[in-house]
Amino acid sequence: MKKIIYLLLIFLCFSCEDQIDVDLNEAAPRLVIDASINWVKGTAGNEQSIKLSLSAPYFNTSVPPANNAVVEITDSSNNTFVFIEDNNTGMYQNSTFIPIIDETYTLNIVYNGDAYKATETLKSVSSIEYVEQINDGGFSGEEMELKVYYTDPEDEENYYFFEFISDVTAIPSLEVYEDRFTNGNQVFGFYTEEDLEAGDEVVIRNNGVSKQFYEFMFVLLQQNSEDGGGPFETQPATVRGNCINITNPDNFPFGYFRLSETDEFVYTIE
Amino acid sequence: MKFYNSILCFAFCFCSLIISAQEKFTLSGNISEQESNETLIGVNIIITEFETGTITNEYGFYSITLPEGIYNIQISYLGFSTLEQSIQLNENKTLNFQLTESTESLDEVVIKTDVEKLNIKNPQMSVNALSINTIKQMPVVLGEVDVIKSITLLPGVTNAGENSSGFNVRGGAVDQNLILLDEATIFNSSHLFGLFSVFNPDAIKDIKLYKGGIPAKYGGRVSSVLDIYQKEGNSNTFKMNGGIGLISSRLLVEGPIKQDNGAFLFGGRSSYAHLFLPLFDIDNVAYFYDLNTKLSYRLNDRNNIYLSGYFGRDVFEIGDTFENTYGNTVLNFRWNHLFSGKLFSNLSLIYSDYDYDLKLNFVEFDWTSGIRNFNLKYDFKYYINDKLKLEFGLNSIYYKFNPGDIKPTTESSGINPFKLIDKYAFENAVYLDAEHKISNKLSVYYGLRFSSFLRLGQDELNIYDNDNPIVFNEDLQIYQKAEPIGTESISRSNVIKDFFNIEPRISLAYQLNETSSIKASYNRMSQYLHLLSNTSSPTPLDVWAPSGKYIKPQLLDQVALGYFKNINNIYALEVEGFYKTIKNRIDYVDGADLIANNAIEQVILNGEARAYGFEFLLRKNEGNFQGWVAYTLSKSEQQTAGRTPTETGINYGQWYNTAYDKTHDLSVTGNYKLNDRWSFSTNFLLQTGQPTTYPNAQYEYNGISIPSFELRNANRLPLYHRLDISANYTPKPKKDRRWKNNWVFGIYNVYNRKNAASITFRENRTTGNNEAIRLTIFGIVPAVSYNFKF
Repeated sequence: MKKIIYLLLIFLCFSCEDQIDVDLNEAAPRLVIDASINWVKGTAGNEQSIKLSLSAPYFNTSVPPANNAVVEITDSSNNTFVFIEDNNTGMYQNSTFIPIIDETYTLNIVYNGDAYKATETLKSVSSIEYVEQINDGGFSGEEMELKVYYTDPEDEENYYFFEFISDVTAIPSLEVYEDRFTNGNQVFGFYTEEDLEAGDEVVIRNNGVSKQFYEFMFVLLQQNSEDGGGPFETQPATVRGNCINITNPDNFPFGYFRLSETDEFVYTIE
Repeated sequence: MKFYNSILCFAFCFCSLIISAQEKFTLSGNISEQESNETLIGVNIIITEFETGTITNEYGFYSITLPEGIYNIQISYLGFSTLEQSIQLNENKTLNFQLTESTESLDEVVIKTDVEKLNIKNPQMSVNALSINTIKQMPVVLGEVDVIKSITLLPGVTNAGENSSGFNVRGGAVDQNLILLDEATIFNSSHLFGLFSVFNPDAIKDIKLYKGGIPAKYGGRVSSVLDIYQKEGNSNTFKMNGGIGLISSRLLVEGPIKQDNGAFLFGGRSSYAHLFLPLFDIDNVAYFYDLNTKLSYRLNDRNNIYLSGYFGRDVFEIGDTFENTYGNTVLNFRWNHLFSGKLFSNLSLIYSDYDYDLKLNFVEFDWTSGIRNFNLKYDFKYYINDKLKLEFGLNSIYYKFNPGDIKPTTESSGINPFKLIDKYAFENAVYLDAEHKISNKLSVYYGLRFSSFLRLGQDELNIYDNDNPIVFNEDLQIYQKAEPIGTESISRSNVIKDFFNIEPRISLAYQLNETSSIKASYNRMSQYLHLLSNTSSPTPLDVWAPSGKYIKPQLLDQVALGYFKNINNIYALEVEGFYKTIKNRIDYVDGADLIANNAIEQVILNGEARAYGFEFLLRKNEGNFQGWVAYTLSKSEQQTAGRTPTETGINYGQWYNTAYDKTHDLSVTGNYKLNDRWSFSTNFLLQTGQPTTYPNAQYEYNGISIPSFELRNANRLPLYHRLDISANYTPKPKKDRRWKNNWVFGIYNVYNRKNAASITFRENRTTGNNEAIRLTIFGIVPAVSYNFKF
């Protein structure tokens, strides 16, 4: 919605946008937990990784990894999966993970003397049925538009997290959906990108997620929103995920511990 | 009970005054403009012997009661020739006067009146009246004369940026302004998302902005009252005027229905830039239009009736994918009745409606929302004697809120129909206001408004554990929605929740000497409606929500103190200080999604707001050079503390600046009349940058960079300043021709300052690097418009 209003403003006014330099304050670094367990349909899901990094000044071009942490996930049957760091990259890996739909898992991390914890449930997802390509889509009518169809199960509340990854952009396009207005229907994930051309590949992932993750990501995407800002933008917020610092609650981490069943589809633009 | 005691107390007070009044006669009547018979608001009627007087009300009526005698009365109105007449008052008299516009001869000797003296004695403070002529002379962006933009040049009035909707008065929010057009409430005052206002300047007669010391007659909003009256129409001759501008064109016709007794007015305005878009192969459409209509009829000396209507719409279409329309509709019937020369009454029956429609064809849904109300007002003004006037009346408003209705637009749409629950409410008020001249030096307005709000039954009202719709998660330190434990449906004839408030208002003026006075005021006001908006400036999509079980009414207390001085009858100086607090200002928890939310109570908390400041206004209303300097030093902030010691509240419970807090706000506006053909105008604005929130860190999550922000509105945009100029050229009128015309040439933002409307932070999609982006709405914008009259 905000996007639309913003587009209108641009379209209507004599407005212009330019990039400027702004002096920003710098906050002390926090631990960032990017713990996304994706059980891709048709795979065993035993190989998983978790990325730990630190927050950094806003205009830095990279963020530092968080090294030498102890990372473990435990399920309700007390199976513990230990994640081992790969050569000071901040990537922690495990190859014995056992994914089970609706199973509840607990993540424990010890980093720099502080203990962090999060609990989440692995959510199932509907399969991607087909992809519709529209060459003159988007608001401008000149963008490549993809509609990724799936059918929402009628008897439960579902939340979806879509990732669209292509080489033509440096960053993926992320969307979250709920089924409040579309329960039980065949619906679609929506992606537009100006620069896509025939032959380009788009990796589409649909992840089943919890309501808590949906709400977290909804706010997070508002913060990051490329076309954010303007008078109709919501107040920026501190976005808290599901991870807490047990040792020192004020030094809370960023990020989220998510577990999803994932349907992955690689689409080649025609 | 307390209320009735106060009423009794009032009654006694007045009775003693009324009894002491004897052997007096009443002079009353109407004052209008000669050429058109258009009644004039705020004309001064001065009894020179007593240095006392009165002013005409919103319907051009005046009344003054004096002991028997012969008096010299002076009738004066800015821009009109002053009338002077000697009157023998030995019986009750009705005298109507007609004023003529002062001939524009430059070296005319202006009769110095005691107008400013009246202002100095009048206890009403914190009020700015702007004549439509003044507004029309100001340089404006794209040549579009704009009532709302003009009032932001006054002290204490600001907005949240060039493209923001509405205006902010003394640190109050946009939804706290009561905007009345011919007594009817206007819910959205903007066209094109805030670029222009909905008022057609040609149809408007008078505007008045109350920032404080608000009379008991007004209620329902806590910050200000913008009282706008439309013209009645020319009951003398048929007239037509209009204008052609870059964005919109206007045409207004008016004329008699019955000579001198009845008139019609029909005004239309429409933007037309969209008509040319297809030439450039752009199938996007954006336009607005509005219609103002009015019929007025004088039945006899004691009865006038008025029927007026306003209809405005904004339309946007982007190709076939997106259609958006919204606007206000107002219908209004009024009956002025004079019970006697001393007792004036006006009955208004008003229907007003704001609706919003959005069709998103690519997701195949149609969204509508709106607010509708029926409003009855019965207002009396009783001119008891030259020392005491009473105003009293009642007001009842029935509201229907449609917070949203979603429908699929196609058979194959993946959207299920969804209706947010309609809400109903009934707002009532009675008031009594006295204007009391206690001595030659001391005058007081005092009044009481007793207001009530009944939230009526609705379907599916959520019930929560402990009536608590929002819970605090102590582990994560965030607020989360509580799950309703059930719902109840209550019949519309039942009251879910009621509120009653007593709102005292008082203002007094003490005259220090012939040319200066001090004034003080206090007012308490309540507001039962809330515009749900967590953006810096409201959008047309925002919905109004009534107070009820989970939302409390906003309560304001404001005090103001001022010094007023008249310098040589040329300059008027007004200096005021104010302090106000507002209880129950709702605030939204981080990430609250307000769109299509059926349970808004799950994402809001009750906070408070406060504002204080100092205003300075020096104006020159006479001569070839006219204008004013306005400066405001102020602070506007809000706070939402945790409900228990373990809760953080919003923004960690700390006070934070509102989006429209501007510490320094200077505006200079001037108009110089060189000769009969040329006049020049200029505005200069200098303001502290608006509060905004900058990031102080970034982190990477799921392949994207997320900014982490500082506390709310802890940073500020760069200083805002700009200079506008315009020149007005009136060709020499041809003899014997009624056709008059003029050209307005303007340049907005002369030195092309790139004022930031916002600075946003984003990750560049191509490079993946973070960058700061400045959005500038208007650089230098030249404009020309042509106006005509015949």
